[in-house]
Amino acid sequence: MTGKRWVFISTLAIMGLLLFVPSFHNDYINLTFRNILMYAAMSYGWNLIGGYTGYVSFGNVAFFGIGAYCSAVLSKTGVDNVFADVGLALVVCALFAIVVGLPILRLRGHYFGIATLGVALGLTDLANNLDFVGGSGGLNLKQADQAHFYLYYYAMWAVTLVCMLATFFIARSKLGYAFVAIRENEEAAQVLGISPTRYKVIAWALGGMMGGAAGAVFAPANGFVDPGTAFAVDNNVFPIAMAILGGMGTASGPFIGALLLSGVNEILQEKFLWLHSLFFGAIIVLIVVFLPRGLMYLVGLRGGVRRWLSDLRAFRV
Amino acid sequence: MQLFLQNLVNGILSGGILALVALGFSLVYGIMNIINLAHGAYIMLGAYLAWQLFTSFHVDPMLSVPLAFVVLFAFGYVVQRTVINRVVRAPVLATFLLTFALSLVFVTIALFIWTGDTRGVQTSYAGANFTLAGVTVPWAKLLTLVVALVITGLLYLWLHRSKTGRAIRATSMDVGAAQMVGVRVAHVYGITYGLGAGLAGAAGALLTLSYPLTPTMGDPFLIKGFVVCVLGGLGSVEGALVGGLVYGIISSFATQFDVTILGQHLSGTGLQDVVALIVLLLVLIVRPRGLVGRATA
Repeated sequence: MTGKRWVFISTLAIMGLLLFVPSFHNDYINLTFRNILMYAAMSYGWNLIGGYTGYVSFGNVAFFGIGAYCSAVLSKTGVDNVFADVGLALVVCALFAIVVGLPILRLRGHYFGIATLGVALGLTDLANNLDFVGGSGGLNLKQADQAHFYLYYYAMWAVTLVCMLATFFIARSKLGYAFVAIRENEEAAQVLGISPTRYKVIAWALGGMMGGAAGAVFAPANGFVDPGTAFAVDNNVFPIAMAILGGMGTASGPFIGALLLSGVNEILQEKFLWLHSLFFGAIIVLIVVFLPRGLMYLVGLRGGVRRWLSDLRAFRV
Repeated sequence: MQLFLQNLVNGILSGGILALVALGFSLVYGIMNIINLAHGAYIMLGAYLAWQLFTSFHVDPMLSVPLAFVVLFAFGYVVQRTVINRVVRAPVLATFLLTFALSLVFVTIALFIWTGDTRGVQTSYAGANFTLAGVTVPWAKLLTLVVALVITGLLYLWLHRSKTGRAIRATSMDVGAAQMVGVRVAHVYGITYGLGAGLAGAAGALLTLSYPLTPTMGDPFLIKGFVVCVLGGLGSVEGALVGGLVYGIISSFATQFDVTILGQHLSGTGLQDVVALIVLLLVLIVRPRGLVGRATA
């Protein structure tokens, strides 16, 4: 068993422990951990396209927003069922990913990134202007009572677990190898008979479905959706930051990153209400400067401190 | 016709400042492959510098523009030499996250010093405008455009004529070859990032004439700058200028876009960024390297 396999098993063990969070009967703890799980699920979604396939998206929040609005619209029509919410979000996100993905996945590198950012911003503006989703005022969903509050925790937990396991198994399947082949060299992959367009759209759609599922659970749990919460800038940047900190293109990285970053943020917020963002930023700066490839890099590292320092030196000018 | 001209003028006026915002972002992006998420924070710092000088010493924001450039140039140079240069060759997302964190730090410091209250600079010419052939032109915006164009022109000349400018362009073409002919890459990177920050600071000082100030005021400009520099083509002065003007004109005309679909009224003022972004997508699909981007291997 390799080190990475052990880390993944530990990650699953932590997930198992998180199942007991509601037994604290503390709303603050419940909310905090639900947010960690939500960010982890979104980070897994980004990781498939950005980490494994190497197409860095700056607009995956679009899927989270679509998922949230799917639940809101369902609730408006009288359906308040978390399974229906997630189901609808999965279908809509997959369709949206295919329709949008076919043209924009022709773009390479930064141009793809900016196009995805454009998609997310465009959806935000649309949500602000369409009346049937409440416009800028947003939509109220049926308020979660105490029993539901815990139900949504478990729902988010399940979504995250599925994202984690799906990532693990995809990475070890033909699909995952095709993603990595495209990341490493798209032309070479094509020569080997991998259709880049097809696999890029699959990665983008699967990742989008993960983000959409997280959004679909978030909306009823939150009880309210507006463009500001559904397409929040934090929801766009944090999942990327978490995947990078944990380790891009790994099955454990996003979860570790989410746990670490949210944990640090939460502690700082409690200790320094005013200046917490300052320390939060400073800690990320230190992590990037000393671990630019994320925590999972340490797991595969052979050669100890000396190797680490020489790897770091390769990045400076 | 009158409306058409007015929209065109509005677009050009707002496009000039967008070009200036995109210019610094584009330089840093094109030359060092850094997606500088702290660019918005530098705009904000330049704006607050101008505001502080105006409030404390009654210095006109126009006079603060060169000062903001110099101060933020020095600041950016130090940031690049002490922090970013350490990971500049790491995968692009490392610097992406790094500059995001730096921006968080700068915005929090600004929040601490100047609080989150919305501030503004009231100059004597703030509301003044003149009318030419039926088209209304606000003086402040015209002045902003002129200064933005002058800075862009000076930068173009400097990049193409001066020794340091040529060193910067050489480094962007081939780091190894530049190093071999004696270019000090660490220093050149510092200068480039300093220029990016300085241009952002100058843009921020100019923006105080027509925009309110908050510690997060840079965010929308960061995103627009990002879009504009991709629209025009990365890393070139011409690209930023063309992209900025095109973006400004499109979003200005988009305000006239008023439609009702299936009983749903869509007003152009709320959708101007959507229209601009759709145009961006179309441009990228037809010209994947931007409007004036050159084809590279």
